[in-house]
Amino acid sequence: MEIILETDNLEKKYKDFKALNHANIHIEKGAIYGLIGKNGAGKTTLIRIICGLQEPTNGRFTIYGVDNNSNNITDVRKRMGAIIETPSIYGEMTAKDNLIEQYKLVGVPSLDGIDDLLKLVGLSNTGKKKAKNFSLGMKQRLGIAIALANNPDFLILDEPINGLDPQGIIEIRELILKLNKEKRITILISSHYLDELSKIATHYGFLDNGSIIKEISSEELMKKMERKLILKVTNEIAFVKYFEEHKISYEVIDDSTIYVYGKYNLSKFINELSKKNLIADEVHEQKESLENYYMNLIGGGSND
Amino acid sequence: MIKLLNAGFTRLRKNKLFWLLTILSIGVALFMIYNGYSDMNKYGRTIEVEKLMLNYSTMVGVVIAIFTSLFLGVEYSDGAMRNKISIGHKRTNIYLSNLIIVTITSLFSYILFLGTVSTIGIPLFGNTTIRFSTLIKLLGCIFAAIIAYASIFTFISMLISNKTISSIVNIMLAFGMIIYSLTFLNFLSMPEYVPEYIMENGQTITKEVKNPYYLTGLKRDVIQLSVDINPAGQMGQIVGGMASNLKLFPIYSLGIIVVFTGAGLVLFKKKELK
Repeated sequence: MEIILETDNLEKKYKDFKALNHANIHIEKGAIYGLIGKNGAGKTTLIRIICGLQEPTNGRFTIYGVDNNSNNITDVRKRMGAIIETPSIYGEMTAKDNLIEQYKLVGVPSLDGIDDLLKLVGLSNTGKKKAKNFSLGMKQRLGIAIALANNPDFLILDEPINGLDPQGIIEIRELILKLNKEKRITILISSHYLDELSKIATHYGFLDNGSIIKEISSEELMKKMERKLILKVTNEIAFVKYFEEHKISYEVIDDSTIYVYGKYNLSKFINELSKKNLIADEVHEQKESLENYYMNLIGGGSND
Repeated sequence: MIKLLNAGFTRLRKNKLFWLLTILSIGVALFMIYNGYSDMNKYGRTIEVEKLMLNYSTMVGVVIAIFTSLFLGVEYSDGAMRNKISIGHKRTNIYLSNLIIVTITSLFSYILFLGTVSTIGIPLFGNTTIRFSTLIKLLGCIFAAIIAYASIFTFISMLISNKTISSIVNIMLAFGMIIYSLTFLNFLSMPEYVPEYIMENGQTITKEVKNPYYLTGLKRDVIQLSVDINPAGQMGQIVGGMASNLKLFPIYSLGIIVVFTGAGLVLFKKKELK
């Protein structure tokens, strides 16, 4: 799988404060990569560095395989679109004029695509209304339209649903999914709204105190969040043999712990095991939420 | 660079501030012509049209400061600077394109003023009383000083991300440069000797004595140089007809352009943007 963005021990220091601390992320082509972290975790710093607004103190990154220290890094950024914190919109201009400006900036010779772009983001009927009078959701959608003007294949959205009402959140979510599915755009989206990210992300990167503490695909994550039985055992090999024979989904965590995934009637399951002389010391049933998973990852700190 | 300029001029055409500047340039010209015409009719004064042509230069610095602060300030406040960098424009090109837009707009403002004064002023007050080549030299120095002003205010606006702060700094600096040059041009134009009136045997005798405020030696040279380098000082000397170092003015302006643009490019490249 082609890697669009890769960071290698990226570090950013502001005097004594480390905003990024050996951050490593890997974004595959076609992914919607959800960058999750509480406020101040380093999400925006990471995005600013990737977009060229700031220089890393240490470490490196590549976009489409081009190193950040290469002279060609500005060329590959031409394949990117980004909204960093707030959308880049001239408030005194209309939605159409903002797009004309962006078309000129990226060097699109014909302005024919502007109406389609406005339609795509649902801003066809804004007429002569100035962008400064738009609602927050409309501004975000205009920001996305601007970021799409150069027909990017990598889109970076920093906290795109911050401050939006439920309707606005749904609109942005649907737009992101549409861009990913129909236009095959790889998307990096940062947020601290876990539930919202879980509805769209195909991959996750959990950022805490400037470090990526876990990267995981949504399939793997869903598996982890499936209902599971936690078995504490002494004869782990016998259990594994049984699970293999019966095609039971399991994961060996350590010498004495095995997770069994799926929905089972607990007493029936224990009964079946005991028939084969497989006696577990302890059996717990657990269903983990994304929130729990996140809290466990960052060690129980508060998520603001 | 072409894309940045194309987008910049597209924004300029739709920018209210630019149209205000255009109206101001014509308005100032019309105001000066009206005043001159009134003076000519009321007091029979002869109006030298070239003086009208040069007069706007004394205030053009403040106009450029306001325009640059607000036009470039929006680049930061509306997130346009972030956008330009994140879509792959080089910082050097962003800086230079903004400098070019500010410079061309500032020159356009002065040329529009000149055009209005010439079109209406020459038929009203007659042709210029100085040689055309002298007028061109003076205007050339003014244009060079305008570019120097543009480079100073672009430098400040590109390095201070906060629109309010950069506007205050630019406008204060523009007024400061004018006040500095007016103050010291006043000192420099003082006579070396002044008459002193003494009563002797009931009669008033006039004696020439050394002016205590007359600047001499190194102090005079340093202050003269500082006024010559200062674009406001150059404009003040040109309008006041006291430019002794006229040939050096474009060189000083060029120096300002090179120093401020060079430093601006280096610092803007290193600037951490939010």
